Amino acid sequence: MSTVSSVAPSAAVSGAAVSGASGQTAGPLAESEVAPAIRLSGVGKRYEATAAPVLENVTLDIQPGEFVCLLGASGCGKSTLLNLIAGLDKPTTGSIRLEGDAGMMFQESALLPWLSASRNVELALRLRGVPRRERRERALELLDTVNLADAAKKRPHELSGGMRQRVALARALAQDRSVLLMDEPFAALDAITRDLLHEELEQVWRATGRTIVFVTHNVREAARLGQRVLLMSSRPGRIAREWQIEDTGPRRIESPEVSALAIEITEHLRREIRRNAA
Amino acid sequence: MPPETTTVTNGSAGTPGTSESDLRTLSAGLDALQTDVVTQKSLGRRIVSAAAPTVVLLIGLIAVWQLVTVVVKPRPDLYPGPFDVLGAFGSAWDSGRIQEAVATSVERGGFGFLLALAIGAPLGLILAEVPLARRALRPLLSGLQVLPSVAWVPPAIIWFGISDATAYFVVIMGAAPSIANGLVSGIDQVPPQLRRVGRVLGASRLESAMLIALPAALPGFLGGLKQGWAFSWRSLMAAEIISTGLGLGLGGMLDQSRQLADMAGVLATILVILAIGVTVELLIFGPIERGLLRRRGLYGVSPR
Repeated sequence: MSTVSSVAPSAAVSGAAVSGASGQTAGPLAESEVAPAIRLSGVGKRYEATAAPVLENVTLDIQPGEFVCLLGASGCGKSTLLNLIAGLDKPTTGSIRLEGDAGMMFQESALLPWLSASRNVELALRLRGVPRRERRERALELLDTVNLADAAKKRPHELSGGMRQRVALARALAQDRSVLLMDEPFAALDAITRDLLHEELEQVWRATGRTIVFVTHNVREAARLGQRVLLMSSRPGRIAREWQIEDTGPRRIESPEVSALAIEITEHLRREIRRNAA
Repeated sequence: MPPETTTVTNGSAGTPGTSESDLRTLSAGLDALQTDVVTQKSLGRRIVSAAAPTVVLLIGLIAVWQLVTVVVKPRPDLYPGPFDVLGAFGSAWDSGRIQEAVATSVERGGFGFLLALAIGAPLGLILAEVPLARRALRPLLSGLQVLPSVAWVPPAIIWFGISDATAYFVVIMGAAPSIANGLVSGIDQVPPQLRRVGRVLGASRLESAMLIALPAALPGFLGGLKQGWAFSWRSLMAAEIISTGLGLGLGGMLDQSRQLADMAGVLATILVILAIGVTVELLIFGPIERGLLRRRGLYGVSPR
C-alpha cells in the first residue's frame, strides 16, 4: 500500500492558499530556494470573449528537474495549458515564466516523413544552430539514448509507432532545453510498447535531469511516472488536487503501490467528472 | 476550495527496476517484432510486371484492328489498317518530317511548360500565403482551368500573329492555372502538426517555409505539374492545328495530312502525339512521383 503521509492545502498550487504545509513534502524538491523552472501565475485562457473559459486561475510552480504529470478528463484544458507553456498560444489572463524555451513532444510523432530518423533529429540540431559537422554525430548519440542507433537511416514509415515516438523523443532532446513538455506522447501506443517507453523515459529523465511536464489522461501512467501528479478539473480547467510521490527509485506500473495510488486518483477524478453531470 | 496535496511513498521494494542493458534488449526485441522486413523485387521484374498488362492489351487491340481490316475490308482511304498507318509513319520518317515535327513540338511544349512553371509557381506561392490574394484570385484561376485553352488561340493570333509567341501564350494560359492550383492545394495539405513542430523547434518563418512547408507540399505540387504538362501538350496541339503556317509541329502535320485526305498519316500523327504525352508521363513524372511517395511511405508499401 502506498502511505499517505499528508493531506494539506498546498501553497504551490493555488494562489488563494498560503500555507507552509507543503514543507512536509518529501523528495528532492522539498522546499527549495531555487528559482522554479516554470512559474504560472493566475493563468486563464478563453478562446472567445463570450465562451466559457478553458482555463481559470492556474497558479503553479514547477521545480527544475521535476517530473510532473498533468492529469484530467478530456476537455479539461490540459493540452491547452501545455501549449501555453510552450508558447504556442498566449494566455488571456495571468503570466507564464519559463527559464528559456521548452522542447515538446506530441501524441503523433510529427516526424517529417521525407527525412530519415537521424535527419529528423539533425533538423532540430540545425534549427538550434549546431554546426553541420557535429550534427550527424550528435544525432546518432541521441538516437542511441533512445536505443535506436540501428534505425538511424530508416524513414518514419518504416518504423513502428513506438519507434517513431522514440525518434520524436530524441528530437526533443536534441533541442537541448531544460524543460520537456509532453502532450500524451504514448496515448496511441499498445500497452507493452508504452510500458517499455515509460522505462526509457524514466532513464532519460534520471540521466539528463530535465524538467518534464507530462500530460496524460491515463491515471496509471501518471501514477507510474510522476514525482508529482496534478489532477485538473474540467470547465473551467483548474488544478483540483495534487499528489507528491516520494521518489524511491524506479517503479513498475504493475506494482501494488502504483495501483493503490491510481485507485485513489481515479476516485478524485470521478468526483470531478460527476460535478459536470449536474 | 483550495486544492489538496497528498504525499505518498511509492516504494520500489520488491519491484526491481529494469537494468539499462536489459531495457536495450527488450527494446530491440520489440522493435524487431513491430517492423517487418520488406523485400523488393528487382527493377527489371518491377518494370515487366507493371508494363505487361498494358503491352498485352495494346497487342490485342492492334490484332483486332488488323483482323477487322482483313475480314471486313473497309475502304482503306477511310479506315486504314495497322500496316497502312505504319507505312505512313515510315514514309514520314524517311522524309525526316516526323523527326522535325516531333522536335519542334517537344521544344515548344517543354519550353512553354517551363514558362508556365515560372509564372504558375510564384503565383501559387502568393495565393497560398496571402489570404486576400487567394480570395480574390482563386475563383478566377479555377475558371481559367475550366476554360478550354483552344479558346485562347483566336485572340493569340490577333495579338501575336502566326508566331511561336502564339503557341507559348496558349500553352501558358492552359498550364499555369493548374500549376498554381497544384501548389496551393499542396501547401494547404501540409499537416498543421508539422508547422507546429517547426515552431517548437524554433524555425523562423523562412526556415519553416523552406525546410518544412515546401518539402511537405511537394506531392501535391507534383500533381499540379503533371496536370500542367498535360494541359501544355493539349493546348499546344490545338494552337498548332489552328494556326497553320507556324513552323511545322505535330499539330501542323496533322492538319496537312487532313488537307491531303491522308487518313493513314492522320492516324500515325495522332499516335505519335499520344505516345509523346504518355512517354513524358512515364519517363519523367512517373519516376519522380514514385520516388517522392515511396520515400514517404505512401506508395508501394503494404499497409501496416
